[in-house]
Amino acid sequence: MGKYAFYPGCAAKGASKELYEATVAVAKKLGIDMVELPQFSCCGAGVLEEVKDVLDIAVNARNLAYAEKEGRDIVTVCSTCLLVLRSAKYHLDNDDDLREQVNEILAEADLEYKGTVDVKHFHWVLLEEFGEEGLKEKVKKPLGGLKVYPFYGCHTVRPKDIIGYEPSENPQSLEKIIRALGATPVSGVRRLECCGFHAFWPAPQISMRLTGLNLKDAKESGADCVVTPCPLCHMNLDANQGRALKAIGENFQIPVLHVPQLVGLALGIEPKELGLHRNFVSFNFV
Amino acid sequence: MEKRKVTFRIRRFNPKKDSQPYYQEYEVEVVKGMTILEALQFIKDNIDPTLSFRAFCRSAICGSCSVKINGYPKLACKTQVFGELEVYKTDILTIEPIDNMEVIRDLIVNWDSAIEKMEKMRPYLIPDPEVVPKTLDEECKVYPNELKKFDRFTDCILCTTCYSVCGIVKVDSNYGGPFPLARVYRFAVDPRDALKKERAKIGYTFDMWNCVRCEKCADVCPKHVAPVNGIMKLRGLSIDIGLKNNPGARHVAAFYKSLLESGMLNEVLLPLRTKGIKGVLENLPMGIKMILKGKAHSPIMKPIAEHEGLRKVMKAAMEVE
Repeated sequence: MGKYAFYPGCAAKGASKELYEATVAVAKKLGIDMVELPQFSCCGAGVLEEVKDVLDIAVNARNLAYAEKEGRDIVTVCSTCLLVLRSAKYHLDNDDDLREQVNEILAEADLEYKGTVDVKHFHWVLLEEFGEEGLKEKVKKPLGGLKVYPFYGCHTVRPKDIIGYEPSENPQSLEKIIRALGATPVSGVRRLECCGFHAFWPAPQISMRLTGLNLKDAKESGADCVVTPCPLCHMNLDANQGRALKAIGENFQIPVLHVPQLVGLALGIEPKELGLHRNFVSFNFV
Repeated sequence: MEKRKVTFRIRRFNPKKDSQPYYQEYEVEVVKGMTILEALQFIKDNIDPTLSFRAFCRSAICGSCSVKINGYPKLACKTQVFGELEVYKTDILTIEPIDNMEVIRDLIVNWDSAIEKMEKMRPYLIPDPEVVPKTLDEECKVYPNELKKFDRFTDCILCTTCYSVCGIVKVDSNYGGPFPLARVYRFAVDPRDALKKERAKIGYTFDMWNCVRCEKCADVCPKHVAPVNGIMKLRGLSIDIGLKNNPGARHVAAFYKSLLESGMLNEVLLPLRTKGIKGVLENLPMGIKMILKGKAHSPIMKPIAEHEGLRKVMKAAMEVE
């Protein structure tokens, strides 16, 4: 079993509190050695790059350096944090001049980036540690008959040069997890589309329209619920569901779950412990 | 040599005689190493001479042969059939024209809309008389550290693959699109250019803040140009030249301020900081629901451990030339 440093990201510490609760509950149930480091800061969501390139890299080199001190790979439950941290690591590992410059900056905080830890998504860790079969063995309440729409979103798979965990053309990690839990993945044409979250402030109508189209595709695929590995996708698909459907002239409801919530239910964890009561669209699976 | 029978399901459309597109299947025995383009050429030469597609250099440099393979656009000349069969675990490949442009015939699209948009954005060097010598007798040097800023963006081959996958191109007719906006950035940081950072105003006019950072353009680019990175940097230049009074730029400032204050994003103050009172009013119903669901933190946030170290790192990073 690997040793992991839990990087929840700002959303899971705030507006997606239920994701934090579900992740901690699932990790505990499965005995994953995962410790949250109190020094971790916000990754800047890629936005810091717009202030200054080196600021974005330095802030995340600091996060990576704390994980290196503990000898733990970073595991995150936010796809944007995943991309931003992996992107910083990619540039630091492939550009000697940049690494030297950033280490001079980190010296201000008595830290050094060495490049010894990896950055992974929580659901990759589930598959790496247990495999599809191993996960199946842990299931206490199989989600028989449940049709689940795997909504990957963007930063879980793209760009392949930085993420590279599975083919970005046809990822299968979520389908594997859904199957292991005894549920059925439904195929939809928009499972790899964008929810529009990162344009929510400058262009809310565009953001809501993209989310609406994704929800419509899930509904038309015959799904009982959507599952997503990203809290930002979740915010648009769940909390903003009413607005998003209004933007495309539709009106229905479909539950949207975080990956650890779905996994937790199958492991027999109580819905309350998984923060399911915090989801905007209620999900009652018996 | 390894061989496999592959069914190519190709979208056909001749606007002069077809009322709508349809799919036609061709079975081809594919040898390992064969490209999608070679398979298309085989079909044209041996099965159906009416099949239309574009192909020139066959070396991934002219950018003419981009097609959708099972929904994902790639240069046909650079993509091996066996690789695709492996990714999709199948013996059937659907080949379609790329999106966001009008189909001329079968797999050929009309690039004009994308190229005309780029032309409006002045994608060429306007020499700075202070830097570029008037005669050819003198050199105009660009140093490696200067070149590094835009070198990657000069690799664009105008294949329009990025433009074809862009979700914002689809819904915002004013949006500049990935490769044109990246090209604006490319000249904005060229030391020989007269407009320099002022070029960010062009990006602003062409809705660069509407980019959702979905990374599709970076993912599909056959030359690994990652246009989205150019767009992000162009946004940064717009802030540098004072285009700060808009939700995009204010959102950036809100993140920066949050990190300085506590190290974590202050989500509760984000609507106010990004869009002012309008942001608060627009998102008030949502905010109340969030509070009722226990999904909102206190507006005053406790700093992370070693926050002073983060502030020092941020200060030092901002002082780098």
